[in-house]
Amino acid sequence: MSSITLHGLTKRFGLVTAVNQLDLEIREGELITLLGPSGCGKTTTLRMIGGFEIPDEGEIYFGERSVTALPPERRNIGIVFQSYALFPHMTVWHNVAFGLQMRREPPPGIRQRVAAILDKVQLSGLGGRFPNQLSGGQQQRVALARALVTNPAVLLLDEPLANLDAKLREEMRFYIRQLQRDFGITTVYVTHDQSEAMVLADRIAVMRDGVLEQVGRAEEIYGRPNNAWVAEFIGLSNFIPGTVARRIDSRVVVQTKAGEFTCTGNIDGSVFVCVRPEALHFDDNRPNRLTGVVRERVFLGNLFDYRVESSNGIRLRVQADPSRAFSPGTSVQLSFDPADAWVIRAEQV
Amino acid sequence: MAGVQAAVTERPRVAAPRRFPWVQVLIVPTLLFLLVFFAVPYLNMVRMSFLLKPAEGPYLPQFTLANYARALFDPFNWKILRNTFWYSILTTVITLVLGYPIAYHLTQATPKRKRWLLVLIISPLLVSVVVRGFAWLILLGRVGLVNQFMQWAAGTELILIGTPEGIVVGLVHVFIPFMALSIAGSLQNISPDVVQAARSLGAGPWQRFWRVIWPLSLPGVLAGSVLVFVLAVSSYVIPIMLGASNVLVMPMLIVQTLLDTFNWPLGSALSMIFFGLTATILAVYLKLMGRSMRWTAP
Repeated sequence: MSSITLHGLTKRFGLVTAVNQLDLEIREGELITLLGPSGCGKTTTLRMIGGFEIPDEGEIYFGERSVTALPPERRNIGIVFQSYALFPHMTVWHNVAFGLQMRREPPPGIRQRVAAILDKVQLSGLGGRFPNQLSGGQQQRVALARALVTNPAVLLLDEPLANLDAKLREEMRFYIRQLQRDFGITTVYVTHDQSEAMVLADRIAVMRDGVLEQVGRAEEIYGRPNNAWVAEFIGLSNFIPGTVARRIDSRVVVQTKAGEFTCTGNIDGSVFVCVRPEALHFDDNRPNRLTGVVRERVFLGNLFDYRVESSNGIRLRVQADPSRAFSPGTSVQLSFDPADAWVIRAEQV
Repeated sequence: MAGVQAAVTERPRVAAPRRFPWVQVLIVPTLLFLLVFFAVPYLNMVRMSFLLKPAEGPYLPQFTLANYARALFDPFNWKILRNTFWYSILTTVITLVLGYPIAYHLTQATPKRKRWLLVLIISPLLVSVVVRGFAWLILLGRVGLVNQFMQWAAGTELILIGTPEGIVVGLVHVFIPFMALSIAGSLQNISPDVVQAARSLGAGPWQRFWRVIWPLSLPGVLAGSVLVFVLAVSSYVIPIMLGASNVLVMPMLIVQTLLDTFNWPLGSALSMIFFGLTATILAVYLKLMGRSMRWTAP
């Protein structure tokens, strides 16, 4: 197990720059997710860490060791593909034993370690099955066992849950998280699913067009996105355009069409006030207040999803618990806390 | 049984009324064709192999095992059978060894190169086997290119026309496309992820080939080798041209018996024995291969 350092990593495919001057430090034992829309370069980054793509520029270190020039078979990695990529012609047992056999471990040791890891992933009785005789979830666990049994330096997961149905996917998130903690293995997890990233990751690295937009814990990325793109990508957000009128300590007062709002931040000029839909409340208990009319209401099971138009024509998304329902056409009072609103530069939308 | 029927009739009829299966009618002409031009003549041959050959005329409608006795107790026939199978197995093995790299190259090529390679592989099939046999006669003949080179390089003659080796050279050339295309079909199905997974687990190029790619290509190897073996065993034109009547194989012997010596019952019996042995060899081969391909079973 080791830390991973990516330094100035760049990969071009013809005229397209898939990954551009990427710097990232992944700590020992950490699980980091590379999160972004398709084509953002997250899989290319993972494949470079694995050695399946050679970077055009930059360096990759596992701990102190530069692996930039090493082929995958000499990097000591474990990888799980979206397709699982199990060897269809080998039984579960042989799939898992493969990596140990490649390392010329003595057979008694192999038997013991394969048995131990199959037990760990709850597949003990299925060693004699072929992959096509297993369910998707079982194949997934074989792939994990196969990747982990060799004690690799790093574990790479490329959208490993994308082929599972919704319910199983949900369970497997926690399962993988637990497994990763038990092994304490440095893990890079590629996904385009933000909730998956939030459940799993110690830190999330949000990527867009081959560049890291923001790296941080889920709370940071959700609560304080660097820019409007990240705010949009991770969850829903309202953007109210305005101008900073004055600054008070770490707060700013922003003049908008809907009124004056106190927000978190320390920038001047043209800004957007960002407020998450669930941070807007149907009351006037909080310092920032505005009035509006409910235009639309959708029931989502655990909450109501409203479109509210403020008196100055600003459209807002509001999510509130279903104990109180406001019908379309109702005039409402909304308020939010300065801590739940932050400002970003306007040019970034 | 009665109970089942009662249960069935009690069920309300919700299914759509059964329509006449018109689509299945489409296969009738093919079946008729096969019946008239394949099944009936074949069965007739089976029958003929048990009929008596008189001194005059083709056969008498009288049951006998004499044809089989004569065919089986003649050591000459066994020699020809053994040779035929040996040349065919040799041809199959050589096409496999030569065809596999072609197939592998084909699957690794870029789409544009792949088109050209396919044209190159298939183009020999556009030329008649007779023409290709003739071309080999010219190449391998006493004053052909190969011999001229051998005399210049080694000072010796390399006689291939009229030898089993010459026949195998011709057969390999004719059948390589079948082998290469069969194997390419299998190689194409191997997911690149699987090979990369092997790499991630520490497998070098040899290990990746022998532990992953080769076993996964076995269905194509099986299809290709069965195809080539069957074609080689029954080949007639290439052996007759390149064997230069020095080398005899089973199809030639059967034709000679049927047409030259005009012994239809004996020719039929030889055909049946030949067919039986070919089928047996294939059955053993399939059985052996099946053991290494347990994973393909559902």
